[in-house]
Amino acid sequence: MLEIKNLHVKLADEDRVILKGVDLVVPKGEVHAIMGPNGSGKSTLSYVIAGRDGYEVTEGDILWNGESVLGMEPDERAAKGVFLAFQYPMEIPGVAGLTFLRTALNALRKKRGEDEMNTAAFMKLVKEKGAKLNIDVEMLKRPVNVGFSGGEKKRSEILQMAMLEPTLCVLDETDSGLDIDALRVVSEGVNALRSKDRAFLVITHYQRLLNHIVPDKVHVLANGRIQKTGGKELALELEKLGYAGFTGKAA
Amino acid sequence: MTIAVMKTKAEQALTEAFEVNAAKLPGSTAVSEARRDAIGKFSASGLPHRRIEEWKYTDLRNAMKDTLAVSVDDAVKVTIADVIVALGALAHVDAHRITFVNGRYRADLSDLAGAEGIEVTPLAAALRTAPPKVAAGLTAVGAAEDAVITLNTAFMTDGAIVRIAPEASLAKPVLMVFLRAGAEGRFTAVRNVISAGEASTSTLIEAHVALPGASLEGQMNALTGLTAAKGAHVTHIKIAADFGKAVHLSNWDVTLEAHAVYRGFQYTSGQSLARNQIAVRYDGEGGKLDLSGAFLVRGTEHVDTTLVVDHAVPRCESRELFKGVLDNNGRGIFQGKIIVRPHAQKTDGKQMAQALMLSPDAEFDSKPELEIYADDVICGHGSTSAELEEDMLFYCKSRGIPDNEARALLIESFIGEALDKVEHEGVREALSTMARDWLSAAEKHK
Repeated sequence: MLEIKNLHVKLADEDRVILKGVDLVVPKGEVHAIMGPNGSGKSTLSYVIAGRDGYEVTEGDILWNGESVLGMEPDERAAKGVFLAFQYPMEIPGVAGLTFLRTALNALRKKRGEDEMNTAAFMKLVKEKGAKLNIDVEMLKRPVNVGFSGGEKKRSEILQMAMLEPTLCVLDETDSGLDIDALRVVSEGVNALRSKDRAFLVITHYQRLLNHIVPDKVHVLANGRIQKTGGKELALELEKLGYAGFTGKAA
Repeated sequence: MTIAVMKTKAEQALTEAFEVNAAKLPGSTAVSEARRDAIGKFSASGLPHRRIEEWKYTDLRNAMKDTLAVSVDDAVKVTIADVIVALGALAHVDAHRITFVNGRYRADLSDLAGAEGIEVTPLAAALRTAPPKVAAGLTAVGAAEDAVITLNTAFMTDGAIVRIAPEASLAKPVLMVFLRAGAEGRFTAVRNVISAGEASTSTLIEAHVALPGASLEGQMNALTGLTAAKGAHVTHIKIAADFGKAVHLSNWDVTLEAHAVYRGFQYTSGQSLARNQIAVRYDGEGGKLDLSGAFLVRGTEHVDTTLVVDHAVPRCESRELFKGVLDNNGRGIFQGKIIVRPHAQKTDGKQMAQALMLSPDAEFDSKPELEIYADDVICGHGSTSAELEEDMLFYCKSRGIPDNEARALLIESFIGEALDKVEHEGVREALSTMARDWLSAAEKHK
């Protein structure tokens, strides 16, 4: 279970406060969506969960399975099952996708006290998981995300998620830059991972992603706080009325 | 007014060493005369220093205060197993091999069996027996006024003469191994003279390596003259991997005839001081040059890459990519001069030098120079020096890769872009292994 308690976050180098007391609970087996206007702190929330530098938690806590993750390095959080699918996945020139995936997978296995996966088993797994996301192994021989289209980058994020099998999946604006077909492939990839042992936090600005990844709950984040929580119908309502009612000004 | 410059100890010693050893250096009368002429020039100029523009960042006079005993005829016991150990990852490359130990050809450590379309002969023998006209060609490689080259002419003991037959396509690379061995540090000068025949295809590799346990000191002066005839495809790689206080002074002098395609690559790490000079001249239209390299420095190591690409004729292309990783107080220098002569229209030249700084105390000096005298050309250069990107590190770590592994991965990826220029898979893999070993040695350093 993910528990975010009264989370206050400011930028480390500036006085600007971004999150002003976020409270949120995502039980295992559920998919929760966070929607909100631009600048409401959605991406900040995802980065703070994953452990990116540059933010300072001034109050509150983030617990995953009852354990605070705030003191952990990003790789330690990953070992606990935390995964962030980036809005803008990094390009890493010179590192082949396969090398990157295998390094990550084996680093996680090592931290979890498992044996490293051998090449044959790894390749079999990549081929199998890749096929479901229309990702050819040839594409993974190229450097990580370099020269990939927006859709390819997002599919490659979901492949990483499928390979690393995290238990807390945070998806940051996974729908941005996707056409209808890519959106469907990515959503199917995510839906395939839904299970009773896994919690999802899906961050999005638009409702359309939620037609494909149907959430159990929808939260509206605005002005650094969760303003409203509801079922999937809340997303439709937002699509119609916009965020103006939550920001205190017309959108 | 003339100012008499005091000679340094090293300059004095080199001039004296020539007198002592002249009789032992291989060559006919014509060669001896050329040597004497060269040492005369050296005595007049001395070692290059920072007030000479091209040597501003690498003050050789200051860096080479002492000279080591000149290598002429010492016999060090070296076995084939030793050569394999010294070659490390490179030993796996399937190649015709010619080996020199402390600048002397060793038939017992060479294997040229089955080499078709090429002729490989030791330079020393040619210097002794070649008719004056040929000898003059062998002694006149490179810029006659360059101090490092004058020393090479004066002291060269051996090297490889490689002739690739016209239209020959070599199945295997030619690997020239220059091994530093023995408990006593030596000043060694070698010279290679390579000619690739018309429309031939070949890969030539120079490996400058040291035996583990060799003296911490060694001074290598290596010169390679290469001519690629019309339409020849040449891949030319130099790998200089040493340790201790080794000094590596290298010159490549390359001439490309019409439509020749030349891919040059240099890997440098482990020396306390390395200066890699590369001069390329186009002698016919339609020549293509791809020149690249990687260097890795730590401690107080210093690697200088100085290029002069001379577009003397129209319609030629040049590409340069040099990348360096600098840790501790390491220092890297890149000087890249591209000259486009008045008639060299339609020249297409691009140059890039990039440094990855792992320490705030490291220093990278980059000096691109474009001298363009023609108006219808495309020329560009770029230079960057940066630290590891925090965003990329976070991306790796968020996938479970620990900080030290993530850093190593990103450093490898940075240098990998240069190594990718090496098309020969075996050599490229060997270089990746060497770079990775360098990185893991850094981990132990900390």
